[in-house]
Amino acid sequence: MAENFDRPDRPERAEGEMDFGDEGFGDKAPRRYQRRRPRQVVPDYVDWKDIDLLRQFIPERGKIMPRRISGISAKDQRRIATAIKRARSMAMLPFVVD
Amino acid sequence: MDSQKEEKKLAQRTYEVMYIVDPETPADRIEKLNEAVGKVIEKEGGTVVRMDDIGRKQLAYPIEKKNEGHYVLFEINGSGQEILELERRMRVNDMIIRYITIRVDEDRKKAEKLQAKRENRQAKRARFRATEETADTPAEAAA
Repeated sequence: MAENFDRPDRPERAEGEMDFGDEGFGDKAPRRYQRRRPRQVVPDYVDWKDIDLLRQFIPERGKIMPRRISGISAKDQRRIATAIKRARSMAMLPFVVD
Repeated sequence: MDSQKEEKKLAQRTYEVMYIVDPETPADRIEKLNEAVGKVIEKEGGTVVRMDDIGRKQLAYPIEKKNEGHYVLFEINGSGQEILELERRMRVNDMIIRYITIRVDEDRKKAEKLQAKRENRQAKRARFRATEETADTPAEAAA
């Protein structure tokens, strides 16, 4: 069995087994996600006014970075997301950057 | 025990209130506004822990066709009654273009708990290491 280290969200596939594209993924090659920041340290108290911290989780478009890329725990991601939303409503962070 | 119960009944909470004042209002009117906010809070039985006049800042997106805003932050201890009154007044005030109230005491308590846990664990680890070292040294001395 080949372990899917890079894609823990997908079921494991035996070595040599091929994906012929009829398993619901279509004919596109499955996307590969790279965990960019494996061990991000998030403080115990996420301050919604700490723009510099929150900026780390906002790529250029202004969207909130998904968890599969930010690589932080679900709890931390939730806290970061609410903090970003609060900062957005006070015009400290943009909703969209275009 | 009794004092603890009473504290719970009073429901002391901590809030952060931030508002953005129209940047075109003169400085003395902003100061007056801040004073008025403080008075409202104290009248309704709350206490101002911290008042921070952050000042002019660029807005991330225009609000009411303005690209700048004067930010003011209040940290308030109270029961929530003063928040009710404050929000009502902020809503009708033309100078305030945006406001937000965040309850922070619960999240802060959680953070404190996490930190205490971590420190506890570290202390335990240190103690374990210390006993290991003391166990090692006599054996070395004997050898």
